[in-house]
Amino acid sequence: MKQLRLMLLIGLAALCSAGFARELPPEGGPARDFNLPTIERLTLDNGLRVTLVPFGKIPKAMIRVDVHTGNLNEGDNVWLADLTTELMKEGTELRSAELIARQTARMGGELSLSTGLDQTYLGLSVLSEFAGDALGLAAEVLRQPAFPADQLERLRAGLVRSRALSLSRPQAIAAAAYAELLYPNHPYGRSYPTEEQLAGYTLDQIKHYYRDNFGAQRSHVMIAGQFDRDEMMAAVRREFGDWAAGPAPLTLPPTVASGFRLKLIDRPGAPQSTLILGLPVDDVASPDFTALNQMQILLGGYFSSRMTANLREDKGYTYSPRSRISMNYRTANWAQTADVTTEHTGDSLNEIFAEIARIQGEAPSVAEVSRTQNYQTGTFVLSHATPGGLLARISQMTLHDLPDDYLDTYLSAVNSITPDKHQKMSQKHLVTDQMTLVIVGDLARVVPQLEAVPALEGIERL
Amino acid sequence: MLRTVLLVSLALLLGACASTDTAPPAPAAAADSALALPIYYTTMDNGLRVVVSEDHSVPTATVAVYYNIGFRIEPRNRTGFAHLFEHMMFQGSENLGKMEFINLVQSNGGVLNGSTRFDFTNYYEVVPSNKVETMLWAEADRMRGLAITQENLTNQQGVVKNEVKVNVLNQPYGGFPWLDVPAHANENWYNNHNFYGDLEDLDSATLEDVQDFFDTYYAPNNAVLVVVGDVDTERVMDMVKQHFGDIEPAELPPPVDISEPRQNKEKRVTKVYPKAPQPALAVSYHMPERNSPEYYAMGIITQMLLSGKDSRFYKKLVKEAGITSSVGGGVNLIGNMYNYNGPMNWHMSIIHDPRVTTDEIMLMIDEVIDDLRVNKVSRDDIELARTKMRSSFYGLLGSSTKFGVADLLACFTLFDNDPWRINRLEQEFDAVTPELILTTAQEYLRPSNRLVLDVTNGEDGSQGAAQ
Repeated sequence: MKQLRLMLLIGLAALCSAGFARELPPEGGPARDFNLPTIERLTLDNGLRVTLVPFGKIPKAMIRVDVHTGNLNEGDNVWLADLTTELMKEGTELRSAELIARQTARMGGELSLSTGLDQTYLGLSVLSEFAGDALGLAAEVLRQPAFPADQLERLRAGLVRSRALSLSRPQAIAAAAYAELLYPNHPYGRSYPTEEQLAGYTLDQIKHYYRDNFGAQRSHVMIAGQFDRDEMMAAVRREFGDWAAGPAPLTLPPTVASGFRLKLIDRPGAPQSTLILGLPVDDVASPDFTALNQMQILLGGYFSSRMTANLREDKGYTYSPRSRISMNYRTANWAQTADVTTEHTGDSLNEIFAEIARIQGEAPSVAEVSRTQNYQTGTFVLSHATPGGLLARISQMTLHDLPDDYLDTYLSAVNSITPDKHQKMSQKHLVTDQMTLVIVGDLARVVPQLEAVPALEGIERL
Repeated sequence: MLRTVLLVSLALLLGACASTDTAPPAPAAAADSALALPIYYTTMDNGLRVVVSEDHSVPTATVAVYYNIGFRIEPRNRTGFAHLFEHMMFQGSENLGKMEFINLVQSNGGVLNGSTRFDFTNYYEVVPSNKVETMLWAEADRMRGLAITQENLTNQQGVVKNEVKVNVLNQPYGGFPWLDVPAHANENWYNNHNFYGDLEDLDSATLEDVQDFFDTYYAPNNAVLVVVGDVDTERVMDMVKQHFGDIEPAELPPPVDISEPRQNKEKRVTKVYPKAPQPALAVSYHMPERNSPEYYAMGIITQMLLSGKDSRFYKKLVKEAGITSSVGGGVNLIGNMYNYNGPMNWHMSIIHDPRVTTDEIMLMIDEVIDDLRVNKVSRDDIELARTKMRSSFYGLLGSSTKFGVADLLACFTLFDNDPWRINRLEQEFDAVTPELILTTAQEYLRPSNRLVLDVTNGEDGSQGAAQ
């Protein structure tokens, strides 16, 4: 049991006096320690990684398997990985999809299988007594997919539909354009296939993609919750021990373009402009990352952030400003997003650039930094207080090769960041003349406003 | 490519943390899965109802205040007002200025949210357990009174209008089905007006309206306070007495009539969403009265029809017909089957290929529904539905924020004065028989009790912006 002392730094709450004596909030007592559960890790001879986390008193077990293959591995065949995953859910050499659906329902669970840019995720959460059976089913789905030809057209139509739905949403249109500009000629930049591409994928291509990318060496089996440790260990060896190692993970870091890029996409009559402004930054394995991430949380990553205080709570330009770092394998990018009311598109951009300049020009106060650190500390506890949250974190640690003691040192790392680090990180990473800006909105009303945005002076639209 | 689904909610977006756990909270459920949460319940002299449930598994605590005022009951020329008011509750009170409430929670390592629903408005914080008193003090501070300015109101009118734009007006399917179904299925204005608000109505709200609303509904005798987590009940009650004890109760207005007449004829409505890439369809039925045996039967029916890949609608519409990728639906479009108090719509909805007509789809839907109205389901079917029910119930209870538990305790107290219902829910579902499913389906799933809402995407099926 690792003990993490929850030290909430005393940040003097900046209660501005409004001309009368205000009552101060009670401080509360000393914090209780938060104990992370014991995490057992091992690697089988075939390269399969296994993580066991006994957790809680609830008779449920959560199984999660990450396979290190996704859109990154599909080359130019955008969504071939997605189509493969969809078809893998349609039955195994031993069981039909109907049987799997009934059996998982009886275990109190449902099988999920989804595709990400870097990984394919299998999830199955069941009543503890079925943990062994569920693991067997998970192995069967991953190792012996039947790829029934008669389901292909239905699933293809599903992806066509899902593509059309996404591309009717301004947020998805903006995100796709942003990714394309950030990662040219790279799978990370190809968010959507053409309809022709989707129409063309064959069963053979699907089988080849599966054969070339699935195997023990790329896979990580995780089990959290209540289960018999020895029994599950035996089950893992039985179900996965003789799986062929398969290929090593593919390393294909994107090359990023340079210079400021501006892309405007017309959505006639739109009541809001959907904005994305950002650029590639160091990824989670970098020594800068803890400070960089904390800086962007303070800047725009939570409700008490500067962007929210300004764009939403002062100006009322938007409901949902957000800044975040998206992490992929060996790369990451920072982005500030907001859906702003159309008539204030230019004003909103000016405020966003002004907030970036402000943090670059002056270190934040100790109180503001402490507040951010306390928020990170509290949400750290909350996000690891469930098997699902914990497994999501362990999955991330594995993908990015983070050290085993990452969780144990996380809080002290967070609390060691000084205000001047915030300023330095913003100067080093938020380089405005290297940023990409995408605007999806009513261009007839938006374009004239861009004249009054100094940061965009002399910038050519793409 | 993982596609994120936009979760639309009438909520102040405050970045609560996500969790995907499906385990119920401690204490451990017994082998027979009967939930036995420890519950302390009392009513204070000023009418404030207080519920405390200890759970020491993680050093956090959830503090929730529920006011018995939902968006059904807002002034007629002020649609969207209940939700706008929820935003104003964060804009300043006696001791906390604008943004200070939120800063106080986050700088103490907590997350928070507020939301407006049919029959309540809620506010909750999840904090390290040693900070419970800090939160109780802050919630009492704003229950005591607001200190807001015209500037705050104008600002939040801008924010809320942007919320409506981002979640409805700039989306291809607008308010389908979550706003559209209640609007067309119900007869009573209280149940069918635009509760997100018309932009003009939102603009016309005044500071006086805000004060009136506060004075009318935001009183201890119209509220429930719930504390769940790593706390000591006795100590919590001392704090509650100290901070809430002297807040004056209010004279509450008599309840309004929110009942819906029995529907005797099928309604068909067509709505055009020009930017929608594919047509869509929703079918909704009026629910039986809450907490009746038939209501629990509808819970089981929901599992059979809609939950998982073994569900009947999934098999019929996705697997067999291949006209859609998924079927959505259930009881209460912006909540669950437990957190409302009044008439409610059960619904199912799909976005579907244009090659099938609404009539063709209705034949398939009727095939599924009619089977339930003619043939008795097997014990085995019910057992499977119960397992799924239990799993989804535990999923509801299982988030690390313990919000699911707090929500049920608050609602069962607010509506029924009976927080212990949470421990009896599973028994209620266990009592559902094949006979009851049949009679419930015959009465409530009759065509004359339903709305068929057909969404078309216009003549050209234009997709708005291309890439």
